[in-house]
Amino acid sequence: MMQDFLFKASNISKYYGQNVGCKNVSLDINSGEVLGIVGESGSGKSTLLNCIYGNLKVDEGDILLNDKSKTILNFTKIDEPKLRLIQRSDLAFVHQNPRDGLRMNISAGGNIGERLMAIGHRNYGEIREIASSWLEKVEIDVSRIDDKPSTFSGGMQQRLQIARNLVTKPRLIFMDEPTGGLDVSVQAKILDLLRNLVRELGIAAIIVTHDLAVVRLLADRIIVMQNGNVIEAGLCDQVLDDPQHKYSQLLVSSVLQV
Amino acid sequence: MNDMSKDKNIDIQIYNFAYLDENTKRMIRRALLKALCIPGYQVPFSSREMPMPYGWGTGGIQVTSACLIPKDVLKVIDQGADDTTNAVSIRKFFQKTANVAVTEKTSDASLIQTRHRIPETKLKEQQILVYQVPIPEPLRFLEPRETETRKMHALSEYGLMFVKLYEDIAKHGHIETAYAYPVKTNGNYVTDPSPIPKFDNPKMNNNPAIQLFGAGREQRIYAIPPYTNVKSLDFEDYPFEAMKANFKCSICGSSDSYLDEIIVSDDGKRSYICSDTDYCKEQTQLNSKEEDQ
Repeated sequence: MMQDFLFKASNISKYYGQNVGCKNVSLDINSGEVLGIVGESGSGKSTLLNCIYGNLKVDEGDILLNDKSKTILNFTKIDEPKLRLIQRSDLAFVHQNPRDGLRMNISAGGNIGERLMAIGHRNYGEIREIASSWLEKVEIDVSRIDDKPSTFSGGMQQRLQIARNLVTKPRLIFMDEPTGGLDVSVQAKILDLLRNLVRELGIAAIIVTHDLAVVRLLADRIIVMQNGNVIEAGLCDQVLDDPQHKYSQLLVSSVLQV
Repeated sequence: MNDMSKDKNIDIQIYNFAYLDENTKRMIRRALLKALCIPGYQVPFSSREMPMPYGWGTGGIQVTSACLIPKDVLKVIDQGADDTTNAVSIRKFFQKTANVAVTEKTSDASLIQTRHRIPETKLKEQQILVYQVPIPEPLRFLEPRETETRKMHALSEYGLMFVKLYEDIAKHGHIETAYAYPVKTNGNYVTDPSPIPKFDNPKMNNNPAIQLFGAGREQRIYAIPPYTNVKSLDFEDYPFEAMKANFKCSICGSSDSYLDEIIVSDDGKRSYICSDTDYCKEQTQLNSKEEDQ
């Protein structure tokens, strides 16, 4: 059988004692594809994302990544050093709050350079050049390369976090509410940037959000979650235009129209 | 206290040899052996309360106490000098509790406890150098979580250490870190050399003496065995540079030893002298001999 998927999670379950984090969730994603995970808060979206990124240990299920050399790695079986190396090189994680994903007391250039230095870059000039080019890509003035993120606006911080994550050219990026907490015009700018970068670099992405507009704009496919279960999955437009499950219908109909 | 220190017999009855009890010494020796087996690895040990405040060398003094034998010759230095408060009080402490011979001459000593310097005179086999360490974790100010830094050491994830050097260059145009300059021990663990000036870093490499590090408050011991490779971290285009003030010692005239800057008058006149007092004395004697001939 051809192994053409990039990432596959099958029958993932995670329990917090008696409580269900997520139950029997399966998803797969091909390279260059964007998958949206939507649902209300407490529905297990973030738990699922942390599980499949490898941050949380799953109770059941397998997580498979087709790595650069076409070998299939199972996150639930590989040892921690290997997993952390994969997380640093093949994967990336964008947090909702840039403060969780950035080092606030280190300059913008240092933030972008960290992942490079972590995978063995030891030439200052080179690191700085790459950092500058990424600042340009995420539309931050290059003259601010030595400023600390604490002096940046919320939108700039989020863009810096994206640059810091994309600098090692990951193949799959996990995003947890990347536009949460930002005002609408800044949100639009970040979404625009993400859409361009994802398309340009052919990166696959899994985006967790409660904002249907975000998935409408970015995602190819979505899954809808409720109480830790996947209740509906399919092409983005299909699910949003013609929701089958009554919770999906409620979700779609509760979006405010301007 | 009617000067009990004059009567050595009383002291030896009051204190176990070198102050610590034998069980504690045994515990510290175990930690030391483990530390020597895994160069640069921070071994936790159950640090004791010592009769001095944290930050005054409680770690070093416990390591010294565990290593000391009656025939040892002890030298204690603080910032290179034998005659500063910290050095004098620790030397007296071991004279009183262990009754060992003391010396100021580096070459005569079998055990040297130091704060912030490595002696200029080359160390040799059979010598032990004990460092007092305030913060043993080189990643501490970059990553505050101990659980995380331990993992980073275990998995050799040292990208963050280079971020610090990157920040230095970005801010100052060169690597500004001048003391406690991080090193890689035996090609494996990144180690904090205690706050010695980076001028001393090259002396750690391939040193014939045993180098032991004790951090009392942080309860960690680590070690560099003799003839171990110790490399200071750097970038390809910003290589490591050992540096010192570009002057001569105004006492002995030496230009290759590490210098202290002293302000000698109210209008800010400066003078530079060797920080290693023993080395300075030696050089002065050599100079006067040459003059006599």
